[in-house]
Amino acid sequence: MVNITINGQSIQVEAGKTILQAAQAQGIEIPTLCYHKDLNPTGNCRMCIVEVKGGRFLQAACVTPVWEGMDIQTHSEKVTKDRKLTLELMLANHPQDCITCDVSGECELQDLAYEYKASAPKWGSKGGRYPVDSDPNPFIRVDMNRCILCRRCVSACAEIQVRDVWGVAKRGFDEVIVPGAGTTMLEARCESCGQCVAYCPTGALSNKMNYGIARAHQVTKVTTTCSYCGVGCQFDLLKKNDKVIGAQSNPNAPVNGMALCVKGRYGYDYIHHPERLKKPRVRRYLLEGKDKNDIRDSIHDTRNSTSKIESPWDWVEAEWDVALDITAKKLMQIRDQFGADSMGFLTSAKCTNEENYLMNKLARQVVGTNNIDHCARL
Amino acid sequence: MTNKKIVYKAVDPEIEELAHHHGGTQEATLEVLKDLGAKNKLNPATITETARALHLPAHETYGMATFYSMLSLEERKKVLRVCDGPVCWLKRASNQLSVNSDQLISEWQSKLGEDFTIERSSCLGLCDRAPAVLVEDEQAGPVNPNDAAKVCEGWRGVQTDYSKPRQGEVRVMTALIGKVNPDEIDSALEHGLYDGLKKALQSDPTVVLAEVESSGLQGRGGAGFPVGRKWRFVASEKRTPRYIVCNADESEPLIFKDRVLMDTNPHQLLEGISIAGYACGASEAWIYIRGEYEHQARRLERAIEQAEAKNLLGKNILGSDFSFKIHVHRGAGAYICGEETALIESLEGKRGEPRLRPPYPPTYGFRGQPTAVNNVESFCAVPHIVKNGAEWWRNLTDDPTPGTKVYMVLGHVKNPGLFEAPFGLTLREIINNFGGGMLPGSTFNFALCGGAAGTIVPPALVDAHIDYSSGPLKGVTRDIKFMEKRWTQVISMGAGSFLICDQTVSPVSFLRELLHFFAAESCGKCTPCRVGTWRSLEILNRMTSGQGQQGDTEELKTLAAIMQDSSFCGLGQSVPIPMKSVLTHFGAEFAKAEK
Repeated sequence: MVNITINGQSIQVEAGKTILQAAQAQGIEIPTLCYHKDLNPTGNCRMCIVEVKGGRFLQAACVTPVWEGMDIQTHSEKVTKDRKLTLELMLANHPQDCITCDVSGECELQDLAYEYKASAPKWGSKGGRYPVDSDPNPFIRVDMNRCILCRRCVSACAEIQVRDVWGVAKRGFDEVIVPGAGTTMLEARCESCGQCVAYCPTGALSNKMNYGIARAHQVTKVTTTCSYCGVGCQFDLLKKNDKVIGAQSNPNAPVNGMALCVKGRYGYDYIHHPERLKKPRVRRYLLEGKDKNDIRDSIHDTRNSTSKIESPWDWVEAEWDVALDITAKKLMQIRDQFGADSMGFLTSAKCTNEENYLMNKLARQVVGTNNIDHCARL
Repeated sequence: MTNKKIVYKAVDPEIEELAHHHGGTQEATLEVLKDLGAKNKLNPATITETARALHLPAHETYGMATFYSMLSLEERKKVLRVCDGPVCWLKRASNQLSVNSDQLISEWQSKLGEDFTIERSSCLGLCDRAPAVLVEDEQAGPVNPNDAAKVCEGWRGVQTDYSKPRQGEVRVMTALIGKVNPDEIDSALEHGLYDGLKKALQSDPTVVLAEVESSGLQGRGGAGFPVGRKWRFVASEKRTPRYIVCNADESEPLIFKDRVLMDTNPHQLLEGISIAGYACGASEAWIYIRGEYEHQARRLERAIEQAEAKNLLGKNILGSDFSFKIHVHRGAGAYICGEETALIESLEGKRGEPRLRPPYPPTYGFRGQPTAVNNVESFCAVPHIVKNGAEWWRNLTDDPTPGTKVYMVLGHVKNPGLFEAPFGLTLREIINNFGGGMLPGSTFNFALCGGAAGTIVPPALVDAHIDYSSGPLKGVTRDIKFMEKRWTQVISMGAGSFLICDQTVSPVSFLRELLHFFAAESCGKCTPCRVGTWRSLEILNRMTSGQGQQGDTEELKTLAAIMQDSSFCGLGQSVPIPMKSVLTHFGAEFAKAEK
């Protein structure tokens, strides 16, 4: 433990902690941009600078470890002035289009500019340096004009997704974030997980599917568990006018944190898809109580045609009870006729543990066979 | 969206071969990219292939290819790099030549024709041969566009001769200039080179380390950190292997001493590095030399070969248990790589961006191992200290800062160039005693002291003492009277170069040249330096072209303050040193330029 003073308050901190961690533990908020708790700190943006007594320069709180006797001022006049100036240096070359920007309201740059009363100086490019929507990736919208070069996308891609798509090219004022060797994202092995979008503090990286549809304050967030596989990732579905318009990482998700795969993050368009199956379907002949052998020679076999004529092979929407009754009856019929071991049960990684357990019960106790397996074991 | 069918393709055999040739690891990146660049084959496809061959993500190699100024994705012919540094600028201005970089490039282009690709280059380290150019690998100067025809025929200007000491010089590191043949090890041995190493090998490494420590030798790169203390940190680290890295990435405008030291006496450097290796318990060293010093790099490689043949390097040196290997690693054009952590990053085959500190290189350096990074001149002093003893080194001067230093004096003096002298000089002494006085018709206006990131000194301060800003070491000071006299006014020594400007040089234009350099060389990692240098240059461009606006000076001051306070590394933190000093001393000139 080391003894330090933050804003006049003496505290003990575990050795090796950073100033930022020490301050956060005390409930003192230090603004950050390039820092994110999930990523290795880089100290690029210089927003979290604090004054350390006796130091020649201001120190970046996110990367500076505490030392014995350190006397820190997190909001001295010098510090707040420099933070405001740093923001202005960023804003000078950032488009002044918050009014139409998709991430307005959840933009960290905007929030800090608001907090520090920083406005864009008269000079600077205000964007226009790079093409807007510059990447053909079907899910991720790229607008490097809005980039403040915090490199969170680079770290997220390298450290969380381990795809190493994003990198830093050129140097000095020309520095720019590029995928791979200046190619498109997909050419640079992108798997469209959207981690970079989730970690981008500005609108440089945003989502194509719901671009221009709603902003943060216009949506209701509903936390849910992903239905694609059994990992149990949680995220927030974004709802506007009773319609799901997007999915977003929920940092409190216990299993996955901010991480999601392409299906979890972008595979939500089935929800309101006109062709989505909402009820079970049963072959017409089964609903009519017929046996397959009775209709084997049916002339209206429409299974492989688009004929509108009614056929016993048609899929007909039915209630769950009806469908399940038929299924149960058929399964019992097979067991009675051919024996329990004539059947096998294969469960899915998409199911939860509880569902898998129930499937196991069904196989062993109801049907009476040990022929049960799981797709994840293959 | 349909998935494109992905067909596996083996790595381009040519690139695979290149990668293998250079070691096949990330550290080979720069060399592979340079080789591809030399064949005009640098493009996104080959860069991606390079990444595959070296098992890296494509953005790493692309980031490298676009970071270093000597690499280019555009097709090039024979390359002529025109030095765009402040010293060459000053020389061109004095000789009534074009000073605008674009104009200069087009003049060279029209004179040389289509066989050449002309590029600007930040300072080439040929300040004593200004105005300088680099013709492919060959250093040339002084040359200007009118010499184009001669340059095509192989004329490379005039070499500066430092074999004769100036009056008042105390030569240690430069003593053998002109006496020793840099390409013949026998000549070096005749002059007593490697005696220091031989002496060191007869005693315990701790003894050698203690000797260097007690000599009070301070790092000659500019910061003046005690060399012995740094080595002590490395030697006391339990982890092995430990490494020695020689910083020969001399890219700061005004500084060319390391080039001269390597050029005139390469064995002295090799000896110093070997002694460092012995003292620190290292068995391998890298000399990171800037890409523009190809001539010196080859000379060093030749010297290493010869020393290995004589068993002065390599396995079991002179029958001892000490084995030592020195590698030469060429940079590719980036001033920031002179910052020790950026240099290590570059050595590891990454973009030359500074690392977070702490941990410092002595604990976490090259390949994450304990590493001593020292300047060429620091290493060059070591053999003399070991050979003659720490006491001798301290007694070279009665100044509290021990030993001698290689100085450079440039600009409007009669006798510009390089000299070696003890500490404790004043600017007046440098100009009059060593620089031969101001040029006829020139009166002293101001001097840039240290290096490009040094102080701009007005006439009122020509009698201030020059020393490391960190001051002399505790325990080494023997004369307290010196201290009292000296520390009233001190000009920072930096790397020891002094550019003297006369009344014809406008401080506003001069600052513009400095910012032109820094804006081109900022790595872009942190916001204050990336945008601050660029914005300062924009303001100064306006001010020097008669478009100054009210409030410009104030804004420059604000930018200087934020760059100094908040930048990530020494580059951004020291850009404000010249800015602030010139704004303090020449406020009136800036006020005039505002209107």
